[in-house]
Amino acid sequence: MFLAIAVRAVAADTNSLADATKLLAERVVSIPNLHGPLRLEFAAGEGLAPSPGKAWQESFKKELEARHVSLTEDPAAPPLRIAVTATPTQWILAATVRSADHDELRLVSVPRASIGPAALPAAPLRIERQLVFESPERVLDASSLSNLSEAGIALLAYRNAELTALELDAAGTVKQSVPIVVADSRPSRDPRGELSAQGTNVDVLLPSKICSFGWASAGEVKCRSAKPVWRGATVLTPPCDPAGWKLVSDGRDWTAPEVLQVVPVGLTREGSAAILSELPGPILNVNGEQNPASALVVTRNLHSGNYEVYRITLACGN
Amino acid sequence: MLAVIRVLLGALLLAQTVGGANRPKYGGTLRVELYAGSFSLDPREWKAGSIRAAEDEKLAALVYDRLVTLDDYGRFQPALATEWSHDTAGKIWQFKLRPGVKFSNGSPLTPSDVANALQRLLPPPLEVLPGENGLTIRASHPVPDLLEQLASGRCFVFRRNPDGTLLGTGPFYLAENIPAQPAEANPAAPKPAHLKFRANEEAWAGRPFLDAVEVTLGAPGLRQILDLQVGRADLVEIAPDLVRKARQDDLRVWSSAPATLLALRFDNSQHAASDDRLREALELALDRGTMANVLLQREAQPASALLPQWLTGYAFLFGSPMNLNRAREIRVSLPATEAGSAEPLRLRVDAPGDLMKLLGERVAVNARQASLTVQVVQHAANPPTPGNPNPAAAGLHLIAWHYDSLSARAELEALVSQLFEPEAGNAVPSNVDPERLYAEERRLLEHRQLLPLVVLPDYVGIGPAVRNWSPAPWGEWRLADVWLEAGESTTSGAPGESSGTSAKDRAPGVRP
Repeated sequence: MFLAIAVRAVAADTNSLADATKLLAERVVSIPNLHGPLRLEFAAGEGLAPSPGKAWQESFKKELEARHVSLTEDPAAPPLRIAVTATPTQWILAATVRSADHDELRLVSVPRASIGPAALPAAPLRIERQLVFESPERVLDASSLSNLSEAGIALLAYRNAELTALELDAAGTVKQSVPIVVADSRPSRDPRGELSAQGTNVDVLLPSKICSFGWASAGEVKCRSAKPVWRGATVLTPPCDPAGWKLVSDGRDWTAPEVLQVVPVGLTREGSAAILSELPGPILNVNGEQNPASALVVTRNLHSGNYEVYRITLACGN
Repeated sequence: MLAVIRVLLGALLLAQTVGGANRPKYGGTLRVELYAGSFSLDPREWKAGSIRAAEDEKLAALVYDRLVTLDDYGRFQPALATEWSHDTAGKIWQFKLRPGVKFSNGSPLTPSDVANALQRLLPPPLEVLPGENGLTIRASHPVPDLLEQLASGRCFVFRRNPDGTLLGTGPFYLAENIPAQPAEANPAAPKPAHLKFRANEEAWAGRPFLDAVEVTLGAPGLRQILDLQVGRADLVEIAPDLVRKARQDDLRVWSSAPATLLALRFDNSQHAASDDRLREALELALDRGTMANVLLQREAQPASALLPQWLTGYAFLFGSPMNLNRAREIRVSLPATEAGSAEPLRLRVDAPGDLMKLLGERVAVNARQASLTVQVVQHAANPPTPGNPNPAAAGLHLIAWHYDSLSARAELEALVSQLFEPEAGNAVPSNVDPERLYAEERRLLEHRQLLPLVVLPDYVGIGPAVRNWSPAPWGEWRLADVWLEAGESTTSGAPGESSGTSAKDRAPGVRP
């Protein structure tokens, strides 16, 4: 019997952090001659990625208590030391405790790829914005499907040198997937494409083609040769400032988080009123929504490696 | 106040409109300088753990691909294989190959090409069988770390032509190979070897952003830093003892996770070296903290384990064994002739460089504090002659080992097979259970054939025009993703000095 494991095949003791937490607790409990109460110590382990945070520590503590391990905060109590470290492919959970006259060690591994960003410490958000989609697949562009905030979005994704347009509902579930097959296209390290969704019709702008289709007849994607006119600066117009604010970035390449700046249109006003939003990675694309005060921003989260789509809205008074 | 506004205004003018400002630039030539004086692109010739092999691997990554790669987030990504699966035991792995991939000469990549290459590079128990659209890798035992092995080290896919040339499917191909030549003006200072890799327009992952990568081999450390400063190089290696200078000079310096282990290796060429108590006394006398923090100016980390923390996740559990009082107690119990002044324990510095010699001398100082006499001899100082084939048998060697596998198990196996006596190394477990690996590593450390000293990162100096420098933490350079920013490189050297690249070459071109 073969297991389908397209991407996440990693040899490990368990396949989720929750399972690994339980397994580590079980293995600690099974240490012979373990006498409590024990003082739980969490060490900041060195590794290639930030360790799971406080929430994980609490869950491990609960697993121990569920197995009737007596814990105390008394500094004189023998320590049960826990460390979480990261290797290129795994998290290693390590527990060391003194038992009788020697140290006992228990190690449990779990694939790094199995732990989502939610389990990792998150960078605080500086300004209001909404994460509307995230995926390990490369996302080139996003477009809202209507001006209703509960409506879904369309995405242009790129994987294995193939383009796909995705229709997502408001919950982020893929409703429809449309391969964009372009004759004579060449793979690129800098795949570029822009989506323009108007009603049920979609245009996909590519470096030398424009492809069109409708969600209702998704099998029919028609492409024609054309020199695309790429999107210019995105200007947002909040209700309280009809002059408009434009989005600018300070990025130099794809290796550093970027600060999105929202500045008033017109040089004379730029020095005084920039609004900054620190994104978790470089900005890959920005697309204004039908709502003139909001835009969808595509970025690559450098902590998780996932592509993320944020809805940025300029709201007055915030 | 006016000044503050001006600064803010300037910063905002520098900021770019979103959606195109940070897009990659195509074109230009990246100029790289390496220490190694020669190279081999044939992975079968690489010696496991050698510094030279690590440099060859960097060059090979320009011209070859792997079946899979590992990203910085612990996820295996498709490369020449688009899908893979294994049986429940992990003994049989099936890989589907990416269709339409071509070698740099335009010929198609076949499953047989992949099988031929990998069969010679994977350990012998693994059998690589080509299929119609992919290949199968079989083993008699589970191979849970096969993907880690395929994503690192020498597991590149290449084709050997009947004339001996090697072909790859990677982002570049080797276009020029000019060996080192004696300079007419000064024969004692030969012109260094020079390689030029050109962009592979048909690369399956897309043409690289750069037009070419020029590599100068055999460049001395200080010369590399100077070339980076004056704009004659874009990417240079920096020796650990020059990192501080590079930082003081405001150069952009990148460091990998610890990649090289410096260690002492005992062998039985000298009788004293086989005495377990002498080995223990020396281990307890070693002050690894001073070596890393003073001698290497905090550019290295003390090492108590054979494998680094980033690879195993458990190295921190091996505490520092230093205990000078205990070392002296053991010394007193040893025969006075063992590592005494009349018959010192000879330490041969096998790895090149002044730094290694200094480290050897530090070991001798530590040993002396435990009343052990260690005499440092350079590798080439006393060569064998017909009348004296073994003039200065050394019982101790200062060696360097470069980690090159992403599998801790495979790395430990390679290290043991190269550096340990056969009887010590036949028990490396075939599974990847970290507890068993830890236990095995502890057993090997207690054997004390190898005493870890420090681990060193790879250091790289990066020029101002280099963009999207996004190497793997474990040291892969990923030059296919680098681009050059026009106007930021100081391409011209001082008057009268030649520049490695013309301005025309460096101007970004148009997108293909």
